[in-house]
Amino acid sequence: MAAFDFAPAIALLPFVSFLIALTVGKHLPKKGALPGIAATAGALLLSIWAVVAVAGGEYHHAVLYEWVAAEEALSFHFGILIDPLSAMMLVIVSLIAFLVHVFSLGYMNDEGEIGLPRYYAGLGLFTFSMLAFVYADNLLMAFMFFELVGLCSFLLIGFWFRERAPPSAAKKAFLVTRFGDYFFLIGVVGVFATFGTGMFASVNGFESFPELAEAALAGEADVNTFGFAAETWFSILGLLVLGGVIGKSAQFPLHTWLPDAMEGPTPVSALIHAATMVAAGVYLVARMYGFYALSPTLLAIIAFVGGFTALFAATMGVVKNDVKQVLAYSTISQYGYMMVALGVGAYVAATFHLMTHAFFKALLFLGAGAVIIATHHEQNMWKMGGLKDRLPVTYWTFLVGSLALAGILPFSGFWSKDEVLYDALLIGLENPIFLGAYAMALLAVFFTGFYTFRMVLLTFHGEPRSDHAENAHALGWNVKFPLVVLGVLAAVAGFINMKPVEDLTGAEILYLEYWLDGEYGAVEGLTYGAYNTLVADVSGLGAADIGPLLPGVIALAVAVAGVALAWVLYNDPEPEEHTARLGAVRDLWYNNYYQDEAQVWLARNVTLPLSRRADTFDQGVIDGVVNGVGSVSLTGGDRLRRIQTGLVTNYAALIALGLVVLLVAFAVVGGWF
Amino acid sequence: MMIEALIAVALIGSLVVLASPDRYAAQLALAISLIPVAGSLWMYSAFDGAGNALLGGDIAFETGPITWVEVGDYALQWHMGLDGVSMPLVVLTTVLTTLAILSAWTPIDERQSQFYGLMLLMQGSLIGVFAALDFFVWFVFWEAVLVPMYFLIGVWGGPRRKYAAIKFFVYTNVASLVMFIGFIALVFSLDVTTFGLPEITAALEGTGPTPLATAAFFAMFAGFAVKVPIVPVHTWLPDAHVEAPTPVSVMLAGVLLKMGTYALLRFNFTMLPEVAIEYAPFIVALAVLSVIYGALLALAQRDLKRIVAYSSISSMGYVLLGLVAYTVHGVGGATFQMVSHGLISGLMFMTVGVIYNATHTRMVTDMSGLADKMPVTVGVFVAAAFGYMGLPLMSGFAAEYFVFVGSFQSDTLPNHGMALATAIAMFGIVVVAGYLLFAMQRTMFGPFELETDYEIVPAPVRDVTPLLVLLGLVILLGIAPDLIYEMIRDAVSPVLENGGDL
Repeated sequence: MAAFDFAPAIALLPFVSFLIALTVGKHLPKKGALPGIAATAGALLLSIWAVVAVAGGEYHHAVLYEWVAAEEALSFHFGILIDPLSAMMLVIVSLIAFLVHVFSLGYMNDEGEIGLPRYYAGLGLFTFSMLAFVYADNLLMAFMFFELVGLCSFLLIGFWFRERAPPSAAKKAFLVTRFGDYFFLIGVVGVFATFGTGMFASVNGFESFPELAEAALAGEADVNTFGFAAETWFSILGLLVLGGVIGKSAQFPLHTWLPDAMEGPTPVSALIHAATMVAAGVYLVARMYGFYALSPTLLAIIAFVGGFTALFAATMGVVKNDVKQVLAYSTISQYGYMMVALGVGAYVAATFHLMTHAFFKALLFLGAGAVIIATHHEQNMWKMGGLKDRLPVTYWTFLVGSLALAGILPFSGFWSKDEVLYDALLIGLENPIFLGAYAMALLAVFFTGFYTFRMVLLTFHGEPRSDHAENAHALGWNVKFPLVVLGVLAAVAGFINMKPVEDLTGAEILYLEYWLDGEYGAVEGLTYGAYNTLVADVSGLGAADIGPLLPGVIALAVAVAGVALAWVLYNDPEPEEHTARLGAVRDLWYNNYYQDEAQVWLARNVTLPLSRRADTFDQGVIDGVVNGVGSVSLTGGDRLRRIQTGLVTNYAALIALGLVVLLVAFAVVGGWF
Repeated sequence: MMIEALIAVALIGSLVVLASPDRYAAQLALAISLIPVAGSLWMYSAFDGAGNALLGGDIAFETGPITWVEVGDYALQWHMGLDGVSMPLVVLTTVLTTLAILSAWTPIDERQSQFYGLMLLMQGSLIGVFAALDFFVWFVFWEAVLVPMYFLIGVWGGPRRKYAAIKFFVYTNVASLVMFIGFIALVFSLDVTTFGLPEITAALEGTGPTPLATAAFFAMFAGFAVKVPIVPVHTWLPDAHVEAPTPVSVMLAGVLLKMGTYALLRFNFTMLPEVAIEYAPFIVALAVLSVIYGALLALAQRDLKRIVAYSSISSMGYVLLGLVAYTVHGVGGATFQMVSHGLISGLMFMTVGVIYNATHTRMVTDMSGLADKMPVTVGVFVAAAFGYMGLPLMSGFAAEYFVFVGSFQSDTLPNHGMALATAIAMFGIVVVAGYLLFAMQRTMFGPFELETDYEIVPAPVRDVTPLLVLLGLVILLGIAPDLIYEMIRDAVSPVLENGGDL
């Protein structure tokens, strides 16, 4: 019995819990929560088993099901690929999903929500879709589950459908990400049309499209590049797929759905932000990194989008009053860091930050959720305060998460963010264009430290500023347990890849790097080393040679400065709103740079009028012509009818006239005159 | 003889139902319509055809050709049979008819025996259209579909039913005339002694885009384009849909539109591929226009039924795009889309109908928050809407994906123009999400409000049953497209070889 025999069950278990909750959930004691917990726990155990197996030097690939029977070159199938990257991600996703299920007992069941079978069905389907996406072995399957992830987010964000805001937010989330997926789908179609395959890895007799692309660039393979130079065409394909990434991972300019998505239940936010929907985009780039590593243009675009988003979102987080809003912008910003890392070839750093972020962001959202239950669904930080003593477990875990988010030594976020920045600097020093991405990301560290501790101080410190905060009620084990688990992970997860320490001591402790580099087991070509070679040789991005210590100290100092400023401004029993001092900038930030307005304007003032014009044109002109033809024949018939008077003399006259006309005609034609 | 048996059951059943009292007509019609369903499913399971019926393939369930009458030098023959293209469409017809009859139980409350009799009559004619392999037999069935449809809209329709029915009848009938003239002119130029479609196709092979072939191509194209409908000859469709009662809309969108695309495939694209490729830029432009323009029109509508009606125009644009691509996945995907769209649009119209039964309004602005009152119906509506948007693991995604892959790599336009055209047409998937999500948000979610003041209770089981059956089929084909896609690809492959350089 091998670990991989059960690989399909990793995704299918949550699917079963979805079916159970959907069909018989309302008759079950916890309305479908228990099957969900059991299923995600099972998926977690199987994922861990898969990790152990990969650590033992194996990888797994199997074609499960031919969607369309293979013919010629195109194979549309569902298959499983478990390598270091996907195995690690499986554990993260199933762990977070499991904890979110447990937490939901406290957040949803204990609060007396209705519609719980629908909620747990949604969670089950969400987990299933994400897990299937993670171990998809080809781009088509990845796209299909990517879309299902979008559907689930729609269903869960709009969970409280009886109110106005959640359905609207759900619509926005699906529509904005669908806009990105439009490009992604063209990319999928283009990849299949170009390479005849969408495989991520060259295994079991398949050839992977990144390797085919590499061979084509080297002139060793002949693919249809649609009339472009191979490099140009691959860049176009990469950009198209990136459209989907930007939508799902909420990168500029398609990030606007994410803050609105806070209308969903908070455990769902934790799932979306930490492990599923938003993570899907970045994960996709990592999954097909062999393709992106081929094009310096693509890498630069990814790095810049990431750097810009990191800074841009962090500034907006500074002025928000809703605790979940602050966290939402921090998510956008943090995924920006992962994009920066991917843009500079730092595959390990990106994956590392994806992992640590999953832990500390899930922790922060669940912590915020705990605060929200305790204060009877208060989300405005100005109505909180003083919760430190009333909710000690929540406070201490939330603090750990915040320290990790702010990037303070020795919490997990420090190590991963530091590595992102360090790798960006290395590439930036040799290739100045990447320095811009580094600079923006570094500046964002300051803002991150600031808004994170503004949030901590306003929520937990000072005096309670409302009755709800004063009367915060105690929390059950089902809330505390996930917090503690995630708190521990957020504190220690960074230790698996401490680059500055390695540099200082020379000890071989970069476990994550070894893991992703295939030192334990991996598919050939899908390793950090292979990607590094591509980035350096094919894309031609060299790296500078400086130690990680100084850059680490700089990053830490910037973060501490941000935290310190927040401390100075808000560590007060009765803190003031200092945001007014920002003046016009505050309005700009508070209104998200008027991004939403711009998109709404585009929909309301461009698309809708256009469609109305088309409708008027259609009714008036096109249908007008049809009805016109109809009335011409009707009128014509009516006129013709009038000569049928019924009077014999009229008919006789007409016949006579007709005869004359005929005679004259014959005469003219026959040439009688 | 299976095909003749199915048609006979439908036609005799139609007479029986017409003669039966109104009280039993619905149950009787449902029972009778189950026989063709069973028969067609058996035929599907026993299907042994291979290749394309017009291009010398092995025809399944073939009868004839039996000479019927001789007209001058030409023999009119009875020739029926199925291949991988028509088999799924016959199953679609029988299944949708049964479900449409079931969905009529609530809304149709007068002259039931006539209504159900006409439904069965239409079913028999539709099977004939998809199975006939002789032009005259085909044309008789083709026209015979119009008659029951005219009455179904004109008698049981909404307030402007007469306008809609006459518009539908005259528009499509004039179109049939144009097509008829074009085709007959073409046949008379050939050295054939029958109107058998396989013979004519064989005689046309290698004709090339002669002036006569081109003229005939466009006459037929115009005729079928009205039926599909393709922009700009689409305006009868929304009127017909809005006025038609729910079950009739289901048949109209689900099967009748596919007559047009089916005929395009059989006549224009199978018989005259050289002309099609010669004029591909024009056809592609119409396809892209239909997709985008149809979707834009849907965005402007405020009546749920009009939204779905216009979205059909958009979806049919994808069929045309796939057909002109002349690749396996293009033509195959187009055929798959015919079946898939038949199921999904049928489902959408049926769901809107169930909602209308309760609310007595279809205006988006008149209602909100229905999810609270009719959870199952709204659940199905949401699922159907996502199906329409092309959600993976539902048939719509499979169909559109095949079309996109097929047309993206097609060489029918020079300089990889098909890739660009495909990319533009694909924007339809964003617009469709826009108008369906908007409509759902307004009508299904939010606080409950209703302008018409009816009390809303969950829909009865008999109304929900056909919805769930259709939804199940949509998901089934989305997960296992090869249930029909395998035979479709087998049947369209010869069309591509016939297309010459492809």
